[in-house]
Amino acid sequence: MIKLEDVTKVYKGEVLALRDASCDIQRGEFVFLVGQSGSGKSTFLRMLNKEEEPDSGRIYIAGKEIGSLSKWRVPRMRRQIGSIFQDFKLLPNKTVSQNVAFALEVIGTPKQVILDQVPAILELVGLQEKTHRLPHELSGGEQQRVSIARAFVNRPLILLADEPTGNLDPGTSVEIMRLLERINETGTTVVMATHDRGIVDTMRRRVIELNEGEIVRDQARGVYE
Amino acid sequence: MNLDYLAKETARNLRRNLTLTLASVLTVAVSLSLLGVALLLQKGVNNATDRWENGVEFIIWVQPDIAENQRLLLETDLNNSPGISSYRYVSQEEALQEFNEDYFPDNPEITQLVTADVIPSSYRVVPAQLNAEAIEIVASSFEAKPGVKKVVRATDEISKIETATDVIRWVVLGAGIILLATGLLLILNTIRMAMFARRREIEVMKLVGATNWFILIPFMLEGTFQGLIGAALGTASVYGANRAFEEWLSSDNVLNILQSFAVSGGDIWEIGILLIAIGALVGSVGSAIAAYRFLDV
Repeated sequence: MIKLEDVTKVYKGEVLALRDASCDIQRGEFVFLVGQSGSGKSTFLRMLNKEEEPDSGRIYIAGKEIGSLSKWRVPRMRRQIGSIFQDFKLLPNKTVSQNVAFALEVIGTPKQVILDQVPAILELVGLQEKTHRLPHELSGGEQQRVSIARAFVNRPLILLADEPTGNLDPGTSVEIMRLLERINETGTTVVMATHDRGIVDTMRRRVIELNEGEIVRDQARGVYE
Repeated sequence: MNLDYLAKETARNLRRNLTLTLASVLTVAVSLSLLGVALLLQKGVNNATDRWENGVEFIIWVQPDIAENQRLLLETDLNNSPGISSYRYVSQEEALQEFNEDYFPDNPEITQLVTADVIPSSYRVVPAQLNAEAIEIVASSFEAKPGVKKVVRATDEISKIETATDVIRWVVLGAGIILLATGLLLILNTIRMAMFARRREIEVMKLVGATNWFILIPFMLEGTFQGLIGAALGTASVYGANRAFEEWLSSDNVLNILQSFAVSGGDIWEIGILLIAIGALVGSVGSAIAAYRFLDV
């Protein structure tokens, strides 16, 4: 599903973000990306989305090499990839259901499909009671659920999560992880960058550790360190 | 992409940035009115010099109340003068018709004020020799003849009109172009501000895979709309200015040389369409540059 071949990324000619990174992630896997801040985790995720380009090496998403993808094809590729973040990136002036519907509207989904899908996904993430609330009226955990609903509403093949529990307390984090596990069980490949030792050690999934841009460990059913 | 979405987004963007939008619209309006006035002047000069076509080098204006035998005498002189290759008699009726057709085809109210007896008849003369000295000798020989009101040389009139209008036209045109560039920059900035205000939405759109066109089109429509509104205002003021000019002319002495500057309704339409096209172009180019740079597509 995701394959990196000797990927190197250098910022401004000096800061090394990723060096000769190679790995192969299968469909339906759940992978933790660990390492200190600045070790290249975010760069790793951003390149899978083609938000950044590698300086050398190749990246394959669902069997397709994305480096040679023309710019007008990138949006279509991104529709197969959902993303969630530490800071949620919700639109503050839109309600919960509007935030989720927005993601479908802007890719041209028919209105009737939106009306069907949005309540269904909000029920899946357990927010059916809060559809008309604004983001600032929700707790952090609830906001992250909205962003998960938005990322997953058009059933992407891949879900990228950049420290999704970074702003949440441990109890809430566990709930978010359960949700991500459920999404993973539907066959969606999940790649999650995290600093949360407890989560990694409890879930015992594949762990890829980065250190100064290099993959120093790639371990099935791994622990944080 | 549905029209509903486009209309909603464009209207919302225009409202959000009302002051900046007004500044852009007014700048485009003022610049295009200046441009329009420069074009009007150009047309006016062309009209004013129309009668000097086909080698006509001077015009002998005859007294309106000239006696028929005086006129025949004058014609005999013209026929016998070796310095004249040909001439054409323009009767009072013809002069009136020319006046009406050339200058006020759409304004019967002005036409009604002018009757054949106030417009003098004239002889349009093509001299045999086209050097200035020879023309001057022939022209001045007719000045003192009985029944002649005035002899007007092409060079006199044309150069007078052209020097007077050239300076004005260039100044107005220059100011118009500078202001138009300002308008373009203002639209560019308005769109950049609008995109910046909505950067979160744009970020989410890109993230979930909205196409660049989907993101860009509402902003480009906003810029184009600003240019169009500015152009419409500019065109309206050019039209108004021309109407005011016509009215002023009709209240003045009909022999006033400015009369020949009047511009026909067809010309005004031509100028208006050109201005609106320029406005739309400035708006869409300004917003396209802003959007292109902001989105980095």
